[in-house]
Amino acid sequence: MKVSLGLLLAVCLAGLQFLAVTFVVFSSYLTSERVLLDHARNLLSDVGLNTIQNARGFLYPARAATELASQLAENEVIASHDLELLEKLLFQQLRLSPQFAGVYYGDEGGNFVYVKRDTGLGPFRTKIIKHVEGQRETELIWRDNKYNLVRSSLDPNDTFDPRLRPWYQQAAEEKLAIWTDPYIFFTSQQPGISVASPVFDQDGDISGVIGVDIEISDISRFLASLEIGENGRALIINRNGDVIAHPDQSLISTEDENGGQRFVSIDEIGDPVARAAFGGMLASGEIGQAGETTSTFVVDGEKYVYTVKPRISDVLPWTIAVYAPENDFIGAIKSNRVANIWIAAGIALLTGIAGVFLALWIYRPVEAFAVRSALISQGELSPSDPLPSTYAELERVNETLVHEIAERKKSQREYGRTFDFSTRGMAQVEPETGLILRANARFGEIFGYEANEILELSLKDLCHPEDVETFLNQAAGEEPNTDDSQERRCLTRDGSVLWLNIHAIMIRDDNGEPLHAVVTIENVSHIKEKEKEIQQLNRDLVHTARVNMMSHMATSLAHELNQPLTAITQNMDAALHMMSAEAPGHDLEPILRESETQAHRAGDIIRSLRDFLLKDEVLKEDFDLSELIEQSLQLLRSEARVNGVFVGSEVEHGTRVKGSRVQIAQVLVNLVRNGIEAIADDNARLRDILVTAKVGDKDAIISVVDTGPGFAEGFDPFARFETTKKDGMGLGLSICKTIVEAHGGKLWFERSDTRSHFCFSLPRATKE
Amino acid sequence: MTEVQPCVFIVDDDEVIRTSLSRALIARGMTVQAFTSADAFLRAYDDDKPGCLVLDYGMPHMTGLELQQLLAAQGRTIPIIFITGHGGVPESVQAIKRGAIDFLEKPFRQDTLLDRIRIAFQKDAQAREARKVIDAARVKFDRLTDREQEIAEFVVLNPATTSSKDVARALDISPRTVDHHRARILEKMEVKSVVALVDLCRSTGILGSVADRGGILR
Repeated sequence: MKVSLGLLLAVCLAGLQFLAVTFVVFSSYLTSERVLLDHARNLLSDVGLNTIQNARGFLYPARAATELASQLAENEVIASHDLELLEKLLFQQLRLSPQFAGVYYGDEGGNFVYVKRDTGLGPFRTKIIKHVEGQRETELIWRDNKYNLVRSSLDPNDTFDPRLRPWYQQAAEEKLAIWTDPYIFFTSQQPGISVASPVFDQDGDISGVIGVDIEISDISRFLASLEIGENGRALIINRNGDVIAHPDQSLISTEDENGGQRFVSIDEIGDPVARAAFGGMLASGEIGQAGETTSTFVVDGEKYVYTVKPRISDVLPWTIAVYAPENDFIGAIKSNRVANIWIAAGIALLTGIAGVFLALWIYRPVEAFAVRSALISQGELSPSDPLPSTYAELERVNETLVHEIAERKKSQREYGRTFDFSTRGMAQVEPETGLILRANARFGEIFGYEANEILELSLKDLCHPEDVETFLNQAAGEEPNTDDSQERRCLTRDGSVLWLNIHAIMIRDDNGEPLHAVVTIENVSHIKEKEKEIQQLNRDLVHTARVNMMSHMATSLAHELNQPLTAITQNMDAALHMMSAEAPGHDLEPILRESETQAHRAGDIIRSLRDFLLKDEVLKEDFDLSELIEQSLQLLRSEARVNGVFVGSEVEHGTRVKGSRVQIAQVLVNLVRNGIEAIADDNARLRDILVTAKVGDKDAIISVVDTGPGFAEGFDPFARFETTKKDGMGLGLSICKTIVEAHGGKLWFERSDTRSHFCFSLPRATKE
Repeated sequence: MTEVQPCVFIVDDDEVIRTSLSRALIARGMTVQAFTSADAFLRAYDDDKPGCLVLDYGMPHMTGLELQQLLAAQGRTIPIIFITGHGGVPESVQAIKRGAIDFLEKPFRQDTLLDRIRIAFQKDAQAREARKVIDAARVKFDRLTDREQEIAEFVVLNPATTSSKDVARALDISPRTVDHHRARILEKMEVKSVVALVDLCRSTGILGSVADRGGILR
C-alpha cells in the first residue's frame, strides 16, 4: 500500500511544526535553567569569598594588636611589671578595635591584666591579678570611655591563674602567636576566638603572653546580613565540624555536659538543610578540602545547590559552606514551564492545522491529476482534453502519458490489423486447453470454418490425430523462437489433411506466467507437393547420373563379364574335346567345377550391375556397408586392372548403416573411379586405392584413399561444372555431395603427403 | 634343321583365362606356354622358338598393344593374335595395321582361335624360311672382297649400265678388271648372270634402293 502524497504532506508539515516548537521551547527552558543555575553557583561562591574576606577583616586586627603589644612589652616601652601602665595600653587597644571583646596579658609570675568591654558599671572593666610580697591580689576596675575610674573593687575569691590557661601554655610552648579554636566566652556567653602571642625578655626567655579575645558573633550577624537568593544561607564550619557562625546565631551554641556552652556540631545543628547537606562531610572527613566543591542535594523533596569553600588558611582552618534552594533561582522558570508547554502545544496545534490545510492545498492538483488519469485509462476522457491548472512536473508527466497512450493505441491498432488481416492464419490460444480465444478470418478459412465456429474449437480438434501431442507441446512451448516453426498435419472441416507451417509464441505476464499463445499458421500443402516433386526430380537426376556413369563403365564391365564367360567357353571346349577324344583318363570334374565358379562370378557381376541401376524408391534402409563396398568394387575391378591400379578395402564385416543403398554405392563407385582416373592420368609409381570404413558411435566414416596427384591449389572438387577430366561434366562429386548430405552426412576432401582422401560420413543404423 | 613343334605363347593377367585357355589348347595337343604379364613373356621368350603369341589386350603396366610395338621395334617377328574383353574398335584397327593376325573378342569361338593359330604358325614358318634365304645370301655377299662388293653394289643399283666399259669408267678402273671381278662375283654369289645377281640382292634386301630396304626382312 503506497502512502498518499496528501497524507504524507500533512503529516510532515504538521509534525515538523510540532517538533520545531517543542524543540525550541524545551531547549530555551533547559538553557535558561542552566544559565541561572550557573549564576546561582557563582553567587554562592561569591558569598563564600565575601564571608572569607569578612572573617579575615574581622580577625586580623587582633593579631596585629597582639604583636604590637608583645613588641611593646619586649622593648620595655611599657614595663611589663608595671601593671597599671599595661592596663592603659591594653585599654587603648581595646578601644581602637570595636570587635575586640577583651585584651589581656599574663606573665611568668602569675600576674594578669585583663581589659574587657562591659555592660555593667562602666563600658570597660579591668581585672588585675598581682602578687605583692607573696600575696595575691585581684582587683576589678570599671572605667568609662576616657579611662576615668568609675569604680574599683577587690575580688578576694578569684583563683584565676593565667599560666594554667591553654592559650598561655600553647603560646609559651610554641613561642609564636597562636589562635585558639573558637569557643563560647565564659563571661559574655558569646562565641569568640582568642589570639595569644608570647613576650620575650632581654635574654630571649618567655616573660609572658599577651592575648586578645574577639567575639565572632559579628560574623554570624554578617552572615545573616547576606542576601543569598531568598532562602540561601552561609555558615562557617570549624575543622572539627563545629558550626562557628550561622545567620541564626542561636543555633550554634548548646550546653555542654559541664553546664557550660559549646558549639553545636554540623551533624546536630538545628538547621536541617545544613545538617543534611554538610553533616555527611564530618563523617567522611571532607570538610576543609583543598578545592571548591559545588553540587546539589535534595531535602524533603526540595532541591538545593551548595558550595563548599576550601579552608581559609592554616591559621584559620574554617570552611565556608553556602547553600540555597534551587527554586530561588529557577522557581520562576519552573512555574512558567507548564504555561510554556501549553503555549507551545497551542502553537504546534495551530501550525499543524495550518500545515494540513497547506498540504491539502498542495495536494489538490495532484489528486485532480490522479482522477483524470483514472478517467483516461477507463476511456471516459481523452488524453488530449485540456489539463486543469497544475504543476509543471505533472504537466510533463501528462505529456508523456498522452504520448504513451497514443503509442499504445497505435500499436494495439497495428496488432489488431496485423492479426485480422494477416495473410497467415493467426489465433490466440489458451495454453493449457488449446482452446481458441481469438482467430482471424484467414485462420478459419484455412480450416474451412466460419469465424464464430472456430472459437468453439480447440487445437486438438484441428490436429491430425498422429500430430496432436507434438502440436500442443509446441503451442504451450518454451520461450519464443523465431526459427521454431514446424510443419504439421492438420485436418480441415471436411476431414482432408493439410500440411501447415505452425509457429507458436507464448505471451507471458511480468512474472513469466503464460497468458496465451499466439499461433501463426500457413498452409504449406502445395509447397510440400512441390518438395515431393523436387525430391522425385532429384532422384531421377541421381539415377540418370548413375546410368550415365554405367555407360562410361560399359567397356570395362563387359570385360569383367567376358572374363568368366571366356573361361567357361574354354573349359567347355576342353571338356568336350576330352570327351570326344579317346582319352578316358581325363578328369572332367575340376574343369566343370571351375566353370561353375566362373558362371557365378558372372552372375554376381550382373546382380551388382542390376542393383546399381535400380531406381531407388525406398529412401532409407538398413544395410551392410561392407557388403555394399565389396559389390561396388566388383564393378570397378576391370577398370582398375586395365589402368594398373590396385583397389583394396578394409571394412569390418557387419557394419550396418542407414540410407539409400544404391545412392551410397553410386558415391563409392564415383569416388573410386575418380581415383582410378587420377592415377591412370598421372602415370604414378604407386597405384593403390584403399577403401576403409571407420565406425563410430553414431556414424561411419568411409574413406577412399588414392595415390593420385590430388588437385591444384584453389580447385574446388565439389563445385559443379568444374572438372580436371578431359571428358568429364564436373557433376559427379557435386551429386555425391548432394547424396551424402541428404543422408545427414558430410563429404570432404583431405590431402596427405602422397595421397588424396575423399571421405564421407553416414549415420549408423540404430538397430543392428 | 630339325622340325620343332610350334608353341602357343599365352600372355594374360587373368589366371582363370590362362588356365582355361591352356587347358583347352593342350587338350588339342598343342604346346602351350602361359605368362602373367608382358614382362614375364619378354624375360622368357626365345626368338628361335617357333610359334605364335595369344596376347590379352588389356593388362596393367604393359598392355598388349605396347608389347606388340616393343617386339616390332626389336625386329622380332612372332605372329600375334589379340584377345580382349573390351572389344574397343580403334585399338583393334591399330593392332591389325601393325601386323596382328587377328583381334578376337572374348568370349571367342574355339574354332576361330584354332584357325588363327594355324595361320599364325604358317606365317611364322614362312617368315623363318625367308629368313634362312636372306641369311644365306648375306653369308655369300660377305665373302666378296671390298672391291667386289663395290662393283656388285654398283651393278645392282644401276642395272641399266651393264657394259664393263661403263662400269670401269664409273669406278675409274680398267674394263678388264671389271670383267675379272664380275666373274668372281657371279661365282661367289652362286648365280649365273648379272640379272640373277640383281634379283637375288634385291629380293633379299642385301643391296637395293632405300625404299626396298624398308621391306619386311629388314
